[in-house]
Amino acid sequence: MRISTGQIFQQGLAAMLNQQSALLKTQQQIASGQKLASPSDDPVAAVQILNFERESNLLGQYLSNAETTTSKLSMEEGVLKGVTNVLQRIRELAVQGLNDTNTQSDRSDIAQEVLALNDELLALANTKDASGNYLFSGFSSNTQPYTSIGASYSGDEGQRNIQVGPDVLVETNDPGSAIFEAERTQTVVTDNVGPSSSSLNVTSIGVNNIISPAVTISFAAPDTLTISDGTNNAVVTPYIAGQSVVLSELNTNFPDLTLQLEGSLANGDSYTLERQTTPRNTVFSTVNDFANALISDTVGSNDSPNNGDFLTNMTSVLETVIDTQAKIGARINVVEQQAIISEDLSLSVKETLLSLQDLDLAEAISRLSLQSTALQAAQQTFVRVQGLNLFNFL
Amino acid sequence: MSLLTTGVSALNTSQASLATTGHNISNVNTDGYSRQRVNQATLLPNFEGRHYVGSGVTVGGIERLYDEFLSSQVRTFTSQQAQHEAFATAAGQISNLLASSSSSLASGFESFFNAANGVANDPTSIAARQVVLSEGESLTNRFRALDNQLTQIDSQLDSGLATALEEINVLARGIAELNIAIVELSSGPGGRPNDLLDQRDELINRLSAFVSVSTIEEDRGSVSVFVGNGQALVVGFTQIDLNTIQDNSMNPPRLAIGYGTNSIDITAQISGGSLGGALQVRGDVIDSARAELNTLATSLIDSANTIQQQGVTLDGNIGSNFFGPVPPATAVAGAGTIFVAITDPRDIAAAFPAAVTTSLTATGTGSLEIRSIGAAPPLTLPLFGVGADIQLTFDAANNQYMVNSGTNSTIIAYDPTVDSGKTFSLTAPFAELTIELSGVPADTDQFTIGNNTAAGDNRNALALANLQTEKVLAGGTQSLSDAYAILIADVATRTNRADINRQTQQGLLEQTQAQFDSVSGVNLDEEAANLIRYQQAYQAASQIITVSNTIFNSLLQAI
Repeated sequence: MRISTGQIFQQGLAAMLNQQSALLKTQQQIASGQKLASPSDDPVAAVQILNFERESNLLGQYLSNAETTTSKLSMEEGVLKGVTNVLQRIRELAVQGLNDTNTQSDRSDIAQEVLALNDELLALANTKDASGNYLFSGFSSNTQPYTSIGASYSGDEGQRNIQVGPDVLVETNDPGSAIFEAERTQTVVTDNVGPSSSSLNVTSIGVNNIISPAVTISFAAPDTLTISDGTNNAVVTPYIAGQSVVLSELNTNFPDLTLQLEGSLANGDSYTLERQTTPRNTVFSTVNDFANALISDTVGSNDSPNNGDFLTNMTSVLETVIDTQAKIGARINVVEQQAIISEDLSLSVKETLLSLQDLDLAEAISRLSLQSTALQAAQQTFVRVQGLNLFNFL
Repeated sequence: MSLLTTGVSALNTSQASLATTGHNISNVNTDGYSRQRVNQATLLPNFEGRHYVGSGVTVGGIERLYDEFLSSQVRTFTSQQAQHEAFATAAGQISNLLASSSSSLASGFESFFNAANGVANDPTSIAARQVVLSEGESLTNRFRALDNQLTQIDSQLDSGLATALEEINVLARGIAELNIAIVELSSGPGGRPNDLLDQRDELINRLSAFVSVSTIEEDRGSVSVFVGNGQALVVGFTQIDLNTIQDNSMNPPRLAIGYGTNSIDITAQISGGSLGGALQVRGDVIDSARAELNTLATSLIDSANTIQQQGVTLDGNIGSNFFGPVPPATAVAGAGTIFVAITDPRDIAAAFPAAVTTSLTATGTGSLEIRSIGAAPPLTLPLFGVGADIQLTFDAANNQYMVNSGTNSTIIAYDPTVDSGKTFSLTAPFAELTIELSGVPADTDQFTIGNNTAAGDNRNALALANLQTEKVLAGGTQSLSDAYAILIADVATRTNRADINRQTQQGLLEQTQAQFDSVSGVNLDEEAANLIRYQQAYQAASQIITVSNTIFNSLLQAI
């Protein structure tokens, strides 16, 4: 083929320009450390990078949410540990105070400590977090959940959730009503207005003391005491006033209570023993009532309010608190599991991102040297070919 | 005598050849120049009674070495290469803009929703709320900046279009003028004016870089040039102007291409060349990118405002619009106008207006949660009027909740063993709610759904944070970020394709140009050889004169 001089020049020039632009691109890649200078270099990879970056950001958000959640839950857990300690101490004092060997002044001393502990308990229930929000008032974080010992719960039942994974929401708080309130039981003796002025005393309450259904104790002249809970019956005869009767010994279905009938007994005297349940009473008022009873030395089984069940009530509050602690522990577990998953995913996403984004330096540098050799060759060829001219020999 | 005339004819012809070779050499770098060649022909022989004696040589004509087919091929590929190059340049600019981390919406969305998570984690924190507002500002700034950049690229294309049309008119005028000269000079006996033809072809080549053209050679040597689907730029000696006209159907208005004195809009017919590339970028990239950005903006406005208007602010009011302008249907809403409509961080509606209270006597493990509020936003507070609280009381014997609100009542069947964790809908006459029932409630356990204005509620903030992954676009198949990624993919793919096409056309152009040059281009070595050849011929012709002189002298001396 016939070649024109202009063509020889153009071809040489184009070769150099192409080599130069390829070299520049490689140089740019090495300088930035990135494979893609522009999304149009590789649209598929560019969009993948975008998606992985979004994924990585989302996982980072989940991880930071998990941290927030853990710190909130740990704080709540710490407070509840304090609550448990206080409640256990109160319970110990109660056992001590209920002991019959105590004088009134002993009991009053114990009551002072119980009252002080009750104040501490109230303060714990009104704990604020670092931002000044009440921990145990649900969504109403500006409302003090318990304004005084006798007050009822002022917060709400709201539980804030924090997202720690795709579709994984974890509760970060518990309302006070689910922690510091439990049903309160009380053993009540009702005089069914018999002919005589006798009275029924509960002298001792055993462990298995749940009275359900109600137990009726009736006296028939001359000396028969009938005990019935509707299905189980027992008869004590002869019975003389002041004699102690242990119900569970008469029938294993009866509660573990020791009773005494005192005064002059008459035919038709009858009493009902039942257990009343007050739903969701605050632990503060329960403790307060008990402390007051200690001060006035009215902690006998028959005193009203009957504080013989106090230990049962304390146990039930303790159980609620411990349950909540267990729930928090479970939540922390979930958060930690989720954080591990997020971290693993985040790591693999970052690795993929690196492989998509980052330049293989070794490859790029060897490419650079290859390209610069090619450019040099193009330049030398250009000069050599341009020098070839018949006019040089004329 | 004949030897002398023969020698003179040889001298003249060699001179013409030398002159043409010189012309070729001097135009070796002239754009569009086609090499010329002297066609030498023998003169008519003299009849000498019994035979013909040759009488020398003459210039038969000066031929322009030119291939019409290759020339039109070069034009076609020039047009296509220029079109793809213009497209790839502008589209590349746009795809870099969309993907750059400093202007990309992707990172704007991430920061904004991260901030929303911050409020969900700590709904009473003013600082966290302020961050949402600031990130919202920055996100809307990104929207507006992108829109602004697209407008700027659009107006760059506009001014490029105006310049291109002026160039086209100048070139067309040049072609028309050359047509006049060529027709005039061709009408004589002296052959065709090769250099003018070259100039005209060069003008048409330059025209083809702006827009793809077709040409028709007329009888007398003039050429007519057409663009689009037959709009003549040059017909014989006359030239028709292209001019810019304002196209107000677009917002912002842009320039269109008008034809002739009546400025008929022929924009849609123009293809090829840098002009065609620019028009293609406008239609395929700028318009679609802007439309997509507007869709994203209105969708963000709609979704965020809906969430906001279903929630309660820190001050216990129903949330107002988060983003403006609203309503998108009437106001000009889009990427160019979006802004953050609330200024007080307390106005971020992080709470739900409804809450559940469990009765004090409840002993079961049943629970009730409000999943969403169905009434159309904005909600009016209080959600539940006096006595309109909703009570759900469990009836264990029949496994159902008795639902009461004022005088209205209904029943929700709920079997704890199979229905726990399922959602149920409450509809008019009750407040429209979606609730989730779970656990095993005891008989007569009661839940009351009533008003809520508690500051520490984060349920609505969670809804805002969830917008990050919620599929709100394209019929519920794409999230905001998905749609943006698809936009980048679209522009990047188009750019990539245009770049590949440009390389292909470049290669084709180079090949065709090489073929064309192989016919028409000047080769200096060839010309140098010719120079020697014609010089030798000239020297030889001179010798003919010398010989003729010598023999004439010999004759004279013989007398």
